[in-house]
Amino acid sequence: MNGWYGRCLRVNLTEGRHKVEKLDGDLLKNFLGGRGLGVKVCFDEVSPQADPLSPDNKLIFSSGPMVGTGAVTGASCNVVTRSALTGTLACAKMRGHFGAEMKFAGFDMIIIEGKAETPVILSIMDDKIRLIPALEYWGRSTSETEDKFKESLSDQWSARETFLATIGPAGENLLPLANIVNDRFLSVGGAGIGAVMGSKNLKAVAVKGQHSLKVADGNRFVQVVNTMINKLNSVPLTSQSMPQWGSAFLVGLCYQKGILPGNNFQKTSVSLRNIGTEALEGAFALRSRGCFSCPIACIKKTDIKHHAYEGKGMIPTYLAIGSLGTNCGVSDLSIIGMANMLCAEMGLDPVATGGLLATAMELVEKKIATTEELKIDIRFGNGNGMMDALRLISTKKGHAKRLGQGGKALAESLESPDLFMGVKGMPLSPFDPRALQGMGLHFATCNYGSHHLYAYTFIDELLNVNENLDPSEIKGKPGLVKLYQDTTAAMDSLGLCCWPLLGLKFKNFVPLVNSCLGTNYSAEDLLFIGERVWNLERLFNMKAGFDKSHDVLPHRFTEEPISDGNGEEKISRVNEMLPEYYYLRGWNEQGEPMKETLKALGLEDT
Amino acid sequence: MPRIKIDHTKCTGCRHCEIACSLNHVANTANPRRARIRVMKDKNRYYPVISGPFVDAACTSKHIIEIDGHRYDMCAFCRASCPEKPFFIEAETGIPLKCDFCGIPPSPSCVRWCNTGALELVED
Repeated sequence: MNGWYGRCLRVNLTEGRHKVEKLDGDLLKNFLGGRGLGVKVCFDEVSPQADPLSPDNKLIFSSGPMVGTGAVTGASCNVVTRSALTGTLACAKMRGHFGAEMKFAGFDMIIIEGKAETPVILSIMDDKIRLIPALEYWGRSTSETEDKFKESLSDQWSARETFLATIGPAGENLLPLANIVNDRFLSVGGAGIGAVMGSKNLKAVAVKGQHSLKVADGNRFVQVVNTMINKLNSVPLTSQSMPQWGSAFLVGLCYQKGILPGNNFQKTSVSLRNIGTEALEGAFALRSRGCFSCPIACIKKTDIKHHAYEGKGMIPTYLAIGSLGTNCGVSDLSIIGMANMLCAEMGLDPVATGGLLATAMELVEKKIATTEELKIDIRFGNGNGMMDALRLISTKKGHAKRLGQGGKALAESLESPDLFMGVKGMPLSPFDPRALQGMGLHFATCNYGSHHLYAYTFIDELLNVNENLDPSEIKGKPGLVKLYQDTTAAMDSLGLCCWPLLGLKFKNFVPLVNSCLGTNYSAEDLLFIGERVWNLERLFNMKAGFDKSHDVLPHRFTEEPISDGNGEEKISRVNEMLPEYYYLRGWNEQGEPMKETLKALGLEDT
Repeated sequence: MPRIKIDHTKCTGCRHCEIACSLNHVANTANPRRARIRVMKDKNRYYPVISGPFVDAACTSKHIIEIDGHRYDMCAFCRASCPEKPFFIEAETGIPLKCDFCGIPPSPSCVRWCNTGALELVED
């Protein structure tokens, strides 16, 4: 088989058994792999009514067919499950080297079922599949777990080739905010997944292998990769901005357009002096680190000068700077960097945690809760209080238990649900939807809650890469949102990262896919598969009880105009765009996919 | 004589060079274990190592290297396809691997895919 290895590992933790299954040709043709295949398995096997933290839920690691073949940015492994935070499906993107190593170990997909009695580590090393008792790892941070596991291996050479995906104390404590960490790098969009892994008593998955992946037409494939690298090098965004600062280059741009949120989306004018790219260069020693076969290398490593975090630093991305920084009123990069670091060590998701902290801070500001009541000095702009809160939340110590259940639960328990800025329980990524209309519509309709990860509309709305669109206009936005949602679903299913779309067009990837897999897809075919995945996710969520009433933004965005900054007076017009979006999707007015739509997509049996 | 110059400070550890090598030497196959270049990771830094023949001299002249105050075992950066470590010995056949500069004239595929300039073909 080309691209795919063609095998899937199914591990039942309750019985301590595993079996290797062959992956079916038609399934791969219709869903490609990665996110698509993960969603399909989840849809078929996981009950949308069962508690996400029960043994009935399944955890699926799924690498796309392009992962590990040397395709440009072919590195992402998707983790699909039913989220403990939102109750919808959850799909995290794990970058780094785990996904590729999983393919070299001979598996496109690992399905984890049931629940182990005591903590275990699933180890897949050179075709030996074992469940290793992990009591001594329980309670340890993610980097300690990784180091300790590598030390336990027979020789330093196999340790160098082993990659781990692990949870921290947050996941063990079943916090809905918990995320998965691999290669010391937080997965993106993983809120709610760490807890599922923790509920299965699975501390980590370790992979290593030496199988070969086949490429259909090697010569052509190498040529296509050469062209793509040259093309990425000719575009300033992917040859300068991203390699130099990572996604943090967006901070300045978003500030200018009034998109960078401050104080739980109450304002957009924050001081750039302390958090812009210049400050970033001043605060950290930037060193690039690349995911598997990525010529851009946007991840930035550093040495944080702190005795506890020596050599562990990962420079905050745009997401971390927005969520843990400006949105909490904090504009000290060293605090933001440490908070991000702490999230990675404890296995917390920065977006979900940042959203929770911002909600708590506004509750305190509005005098609905008091700092005495929460027992943590949590106020906008108080960086030290934020760090204390992070430490307490992840270990479930002290009075932080109330915070640990997420921003939505906290706001509802204090009868102020309107102060939680999120959709379907997931806090908003740091893009103010009032000044970025398309992203607002995506936030409202996204199957995973409001995360920008599943539609990079800012590529056209903000950066104007393919089209010159006005971020505050709504004309054409529903079409744009649908296009990007489908594109992202297709890219995720192939196992490709979406950041190169800053420099390449989606159609540039088509020859890469065809020469690698030996298929004959057109760009439309791939987008159609993306649409199929999106609709299947929607069907799962509908069964789990989500409908049109959940496709809304918090009142703040549709009723309160932005109070200051360059986006002043703007308001989200998401409700005007929604009917057109449903129409373009082939859904009825209630947001349900119509029979004809499902039939065209080949989903009529579901 | 052309050589491949390695600048480890520019290496991001993406391992694209490993796959480039594998695709060039084994038809239509991507597998880092069949590549003649490997990226070693040590103390959060990456060091590309290009394979060479195993000679006793490499082992007898071993010493500890110090970079930025960290001490490294020379074995980690040794290019020999020696029996002591599994790198540079093809897993499926047991044949020791050696870099051949991708033919004559040299046009190493790893250099072509290295986008950060960590690998460079130089004349000296």
